[in-house]
Amino acid sequence: MALGLDLDYLERSARGEFDLGWLRDTNSEWGVRAVPSKTGLTMRDIAIGSYGVIPEHAPLRTMAPRGSDVEAGVPDMGYTINDRAEVWADNVLDLYEEAVSRQWSATRDIPWADLVPLDPDVEHAMCQLATVLSEVEMVAADFPAKWLWRINHDFVEAKMFLCTQVMDEARHTEVFRKRALANGGGLGRATAVVERFLQLILDAESYDEGSALMHLLGEGIVLSLFRAGAALAPSPVEQQIFRLCMQDEARHVAYGTMHLRYRLASDPSMAEDFHAYLDQGEEIISMIFATPEIVEPTAILAAGGLEEACALGTAAGDVLRLQIIGDYLKRCAHAGLDRRGRLHLPDSLIDGVPGAVAEVAV
Amino acid sequence: MGAMEAPFPSSAWFVELVSRATSDQAALERLGIADLRLGVEVLIPDGIDEFFGVVLDGYDIGVVGPTDEDTFAPDVVVSGPLDAWREMVDWIEEHGPADSAHSLNGLTIAGVPLVARSEDAMGSDKFYRFMGTVQAIFDAAGAPAPVGTGA
Repeated sequence: MALGLDLDYLERSARGEFDLGWLRDTNSEWGVRAVPSKTGLTMRDIAIGSYGVIPEHAPLRTMAPRGSDVEAGVPDMGYTINDRAEVWADNVLDLYEEAVSRQWSATRDIPWADLVPLDPDVEHAMCQLATVLSEVEMVAADFPAKWLWRINHDFVEAKMFLCTQVMDEARHTEVFRKRALANGGGLGRATAVVERFLQLILDAESYDEGSALMHLLGEGIVLSLFRAGAALAPSPVEQQIFRLCMQDEARHVAYGTMHLRYRLASDPSMAEDFHAYLDQGEEIISMIFATPEIVEPTAILAAGGLEEACALGTAAGDVLRLQIIGDYLKRCAHAGLDRRGRLHLPDSLIDGVPGAVAEVAV
Repeated sequence: MGAMEAPFPSSAWFVELVSRATSDQAALERLGIADLRLGVEVLIPDGIDEFFGVVLDGYDIGVVGPTDEDTFAPDVVVSGPLDAWREMVDWIEEHGPADSAHSLNGLTIAGVPLVARSEDAMGSDKFYRFMGTVQAIFDAAGAPAPVGTGA
């Protein structure tokens, strides 16, 4: 569509004939003054007046800032996510501020010079874990990036939070790639089963489906791996890497949990859809629990060596398994989705987890 | 800065801890804003258990206690026997910032010797979100102030 150049205005403006005519009859809240809170001027501080009202359904599909006066004839950007419940979470403003405030640098904030030579088996284990994490973390950037341009600009706070997640995941990919290459081990193996789970997230037909699989299930598992990594770290270098990643990952999981909660509160009839998404995800996840490239590095790091891991058996893995599934069930419950009794995990994986009963033996 | 003067566990110990942790406010702010009500429960054998609260609010840190869990309304409680707490504190006082085995994450991950419990998933996830800040505070028992991003 030709916008049409106003030659008359061009001439008048060249003569300095400005009359602010465009400002007359503009919808605005002239006089609004957001007051900074004690940490600065936060997104919550500016969620005031009409500017703080998030529509249930976006009336337009433009990039115009919510609350601005939108000229007639603005183009349709073709957003497909136009309902607030599709992407919103009640904690998203605070999570955005937290994310911005708690950024870190994989170059500057990790004491790389303090890396110490490790037993070859332990170095292999650390490098393999770093390989898997470098692999899986980028999907958590790809997925939000794939959907960001489809989300209506009226939900800009949610889009901004997802942008922080993209940056977080880039840093996680970076820091684990650096760890794999920094101490003589190099990258390990990428497996088909992990890639299948990543594909499931990327190919999700809706944001709801992908968010449940990624924010809730996938990142919940990775969060537990980060916790374990920090607890089993052979040096302060790995402890710092895993701790900083854990903080970021927990934010993403907190968003996913609260998004699902908001979604289900808005439309309880969607519960069965989410159960179906998670059924599918859990079936692949159960295979990951039996993938040597993931199980063995964790066991070796927990025990402090290969021989020690053989002697320890499944004890370390059991701690991780109980934590992963227990935390996952708690998050589902908080979101309003009771997965107890219908987990698509084999009995051997849910053994000992309070309230966990498999619906289908896999 | 020498060893902690106040005995653990006591209100004075937590006040001294926070005073040390906040002695370099710029270093603390580099860790980022935080929002957490952390309960610290010390189980005393054959005695009365002790409960203290640590409040992270933006860049501020506050101490409440002695108190009880219901009054404090924590997001998450880290609980365990006095011996386990004392071993952690003694290690930090002697060596500086906690290593993996003496960190709050390491001590709670298996549910022994300390356990981190919360009413719901958001409480435990907050514990994970602000772990660097929480650990930096406890590390202040053995160091002048948190440095960098939480080592």
